[in-house]
Amino acid sequence: MKWSQFFNTSIGKKLLVGATGLFLCSFVIVHLTGNLTLLKDDGGEAFNIYAAFMSHNPFIQFLAWGLKIIILLHAIIALQLTFRNRAARPVKYAINPGNQTSSWFSRQMAIMGSILLIFILIHLKDFWYVMHYGELRPVTYEGKEYKDLYYAVYEAFKVLWVVVLYVIGMIGLSFHLVHGFKSAFQTFGLNHVKYNGLINFVGVWLFGILIPIAFAIIPVFIYFKSI
Amino acid sequence: MLNSKIPAGSLDKKWEDYKGHCKLVNPANKRNMEVIIVGTGLAGASAAASLGELGYKVKAFCFQDSPRRAHSIAAQGGINAAKNYQNDGDSVFRLFYDTVKGGDYRAREANVHRLAEVSGNIIDQCVAQGVPFAREYGGLLSNRSFGGTQVQRTFYAAGQTGQQLLLGAYSALERQVALGNVTMYNRHEMLDIVVIDGKARGIIARDLITGKLERHFGHAVLLASGGYGNVFYLSTNAMGSNVTAAWKATRKGAFFGNPCYTQIHPTCIPVSGDHQSKLTLMSESLRNDGRIWVPKKQNDTRKPSDIPEDERDYYLERRYPAFGNLVPRDVASRAAKERCDAGYGVGSSKQAVYLDFAFNMDRYGRIEASKRQLSNPSADEIRKLGKEVVAEKYGNLFDMYAKITGENPYEVPMRIYPAVHYTMGGLWVDYELMTTVTGLYALGEANFSDHGANRLGASALMQGLADGYFVIPYTLGNYLAGEIGTKAFSLDHPAFIEAEKNVQSTIDKMMNIKGTKSVDHFHKKLGKIMWDKCGMARNEQGLKEAITEIQALRAEFWKDVRIPGDANEFNPELEKAGRVADFLELGELMCVDALNRRESCGGHFREESQTDEGEAQRDDANFAYVSAWEYKGDSQFELHKEALEFVECKPTQRSYK
Amino acid sequence: MEHYNMNLTLKVWRQKNADAQGKFETYPVSGISSEMSFLEMFDVLNERLINEGKEPIAFDHDCREGICGACSMHINGRAHGPWAGTTTCQLHMRAFKDGDTLTVEPWRAGSFPVVKDLTVDRGAFDRIIEAGGYVSVNTGNAQDANNILIPKDDADAAFAAAACIGCGACVAACKNSSAMLFVSAKVSQLALLPQGQPEKKSRALNMIAQMDKEGFGSCTNTGACEAECPKEISLTNIARLNREYISAGMTYEK
Repeated sequence: MKWSQFFNTSIGKKLLVGATGLFLCSFVIVHLTGNLTLLKDDGGEAFNIYAAFMSHNPFIQFLAWGLKIIILLHAIIALQLTFRNRAARPVKYAINPGNQTSSWFSRQMAIMGSILLIFILIHLKDFWYVMHYGELRPVTYEGKEYKDLYYAVYEAFKVLWVVVLYVIGMIGLSFHLVHGFKSAFQTFGLNHVKYNGLINFVGVWLFGILIPIAFAIIPVFIYFKSI
Repeated sequence: MLNSKIPAGSLDKKWEDYKGHCKLVNPANKRNMEVIIVGTGLAGASAAASLGELGYKVKAFCFQDSPRRAHSIAAQGGINAAKNYQNDGDSVFRLFYDTVKGGDYRAREANVHRLAEVSGNIIDQCVAQGVPFAREYGGLLSNRSFGGTQVQRTFYAAGQTGQQLLLGAYSALERQVALGNVTMYNRHEMLDIVVIDGKARGIIARDLITGKLERHFGHAVLLASGGYGNVFYLSTNAMGSNVTAAWKATRKGAFFGNPCYTQIHPTCIPVSGDHQSKLTLMSESLRNDGRIWVPKKQNDTRKPSDIPEDERDYYLERRYPAFGNLVPRDVASRAAKERCDAGYGVGSSKQAVYLDFAFNMDRYGRIEASKRQLSNPSADEIRKLGKEVVAEKYGNLFDMYAKITGENPYEVPMRIYPAVHYTMGGLWVDYELMTTVTGLYALGEANFSDHGANRLGASALMQGLADGYFVIPYTLGNYLAGEIGTKAFSLDHPAFIEAEKNVQSTIDKMMNIKGTKSVDHFHKKLGKIMWDKCGMARNEQGLKEAITEIQALRAEFWKDVRIPGDANEFNPELEKAGRVADFLELGELMCVDALNRRESCGGHFREESQTDEGEAQRDDANFAYVSAWEYKGDSQFELHKEALEFVECKPTQRSYK
Repeated sequence: MEHYNMNLTLKVWRQKNADAQGKFETYPVSGISSEMSFLEMFDVLNERLINEGKEPIAFDHDCREGICGACSMHINGRAHGPWAGTTTCQLHMRAFKDGDTLTVEPWRAGSFPVVKDLTVDRGAFDRIIEAGGYVSVNTGNAQDANNILIPKDDADAAFAAAACIGCGACVAACKNSSAMLFVSAKVSQLALLPQGQPEKKSRALNMIAQMDKEGFGSCTNTGACEAECPKEISLTNIARLNREYISAGMTYEK
């Protein structure tokens, strides 16, 4: 079996979605660690140095472009599967079972994923784009000049609707990962009664609750600090 | 005179000799030989797969939407085989002997011996296919025991043995479909046999989706279409199980063997009302731990738990102290009917007896308590432990009972009553499984061959697979070897045109009646006549009445049946009508046969022929023969006899006291 | 258990044939006993329709004891109705109460086209089995059954997977109309047994290819199939199918 065939079946595509999904889960952790420096009361020094490192280190740059491709791959294949799945039932049921037979989260993956994708595009435009190609005021630490992304972030989150948008994005992240994390394991065939509890726990508590809340705290914190 | 073509020689050498001397068809010629198989249960699917593997061009037909749904799938208990894995004294001879004796000395010895010989190969074949039989911790196959035997020779897969065996045969069949050796015709019903120059050469089948009639040629035609228990309307058979294929064959000259031999299974869930559409079996294995009783008082309406021990009549233990609750099926069924007829029945219908697990639950509970070294366990604790043991043994059956009745069988005794389960009779076949029409074969429950007047538990699966996997591949070759010069007949041969025309005119006739009563109306009425007068007990007067009543009902059917819809579409009512029309003819023949057989044997109980104690009494001097009935026109049947000779098993009176 | 009678309103999908436009028809039914099975309630309704000169409702059914897999009704949004581990034929009317409205639909999936009313064509399942759901062993080739030792736990797990009745409730219940539970049950049964090893790679790959070709959706692990399966086939089988696919796909040379 050729690799092209291997990844072109319904299971092969699911493997790609699962693998890219788990990679993105690991990215989310890294991203959060960096972002938490925004909460440090140092006028943005730690955050700006971190941002500069992330946007100049060649290796990170390579990863960053890879990341974008992976996000796109994840989204495109998942949407492709979603459309195919919809098409597999041309006539819909008049009555659906709702939560009686499956969890609500598991049925909203495409919706939550789409919300997340839109959020990511807005987020990239807001900060990544301005960091790389936009005008940002300079700031100097220990004689070296940096772009003051910290200031841009604080300015952005003074606006209520931006904060609301980010919180919605994080709700999307939460609901997507409550099912997505453990689902990826099942797709890889990793279903074992001794480990399912742990996988489920990590999926719900770490990726479904803790991480999205930690992300969402940042805009909320900044907003309340500004008023 | 009927020639059963039993090979000469001693019983244990016959099959070996036959295989050594039968004619063969070489592979190149096999590719040109077409074989039609009707029915895809254990016999049909295994035959289709095996013949496809040999290289024949096979066409298989089933009325279900998939061959996997044939009613063999519902068999619960297990399959017998003389493997002697338990080292408990089993052998080919013993399996043969038990089967002939269990059949009340009305089966053909040579066929039964062959069945016992190939029984071991069946298990090997099924295991090789991946059938997940129950196993012991050491990884070896597990066995259990069934009624009528003293050894453990029954292989099983929980309570779903038939399902697993059928899925094994079905997957072998689908493999041949993929290889192009078998063409599968789902949702097709065979409606006539085409006979050319005295040989079966094809069938007329109706595509049940489009209603179109199709002509199919075959150098030989195999019927593996199952039994006819649904003539009783209520039975443990599937709703679609029917006699149509076998009956059309009968009308084309195949003799029908022993039509009156019906097995009534003692442990089924009783009828709950007029709406009842079918009956559900509770496996025979339950009688190992359930005690059967009725109140000693007539019309006792107390709850079972309110009836004290000394007011209960454990009638099987009372009448048959040696075998108790484990008497054979026919005996247990008659005893239940006797009690209910005498007014001791229980439940709202009074047509039921109790199957009570309380006694053995407590016994198991005490054993369990002792194993766990509990001191002074309370009665509740004992019962709880006992329930766990029973749940492990019979959990799925108890669940099924609870779903159907809404009662919890762990708390209250099951209510059970006998129900029609299997038909030992069927198309008469010779040793090669060929009917009296040359080139027309019958396999599995559709033939009459191996079970005599009563079938032992776990033997139906064995026979179906023996016929399909290990007998027909040899015997069919012996016939087809003489047919290699025969080219496929044109489907425009006058015989095909004529047969199709007849089928079409029967359908048109039925559709044009446009009467007032539904098909089920007639089926229910027929079932009631059969159950009342040709059921568990039969007598001359009742059978004569039944024949008259069935004739009248049949006339009414052809005047007043209403079939909605059209013939050229998917029309389940039309399918049913055709089947009931055939049952209305078969039912009469069953009564004719029962009337002719003025003895009691196995499942056939003539009230005139019983001992002083009410037990069945055979009449070997006058009735040690197979009744093979030839159809001679409406209500006209001619009896042919095949004398039964017993060389190895000398008939004795069965006693279970 | 108290028996009671009930009056119900049935909304049933009626469709003349595969090409016709279908629609719901409403039928009030009365005097339905709590002791009837769901299909017996349909028998009563059909008998009435015939007597009224109307066409009865076509539905698949055969054994009526939960094993043949023919029956296939989607009842109030649930494949085989509200009881767990139960086929439509084993569902009894005591699951409902007087005055209930029951909406009955056929299995809905592009791969299961409607034949008539509530009857659908599940031939896709046969074709998936054709693609590899077997052990290639011709009749007469077998060695003695006890020469193959199989650990009891493996045999039990294989049996649990093999208990599938091919009814299609998994497809009907899945929001994606995925047939993964069905395919995984057969692949698992044979993957768990030594007899299935020689063909395990081609089996998994071919059956999945056929499943895709038939137009079934993909699995998003919602678990609805497991919840609705009348034989309670476990999702662990789907995980096993995924493992079989990965190991076969990454090493199979053809």
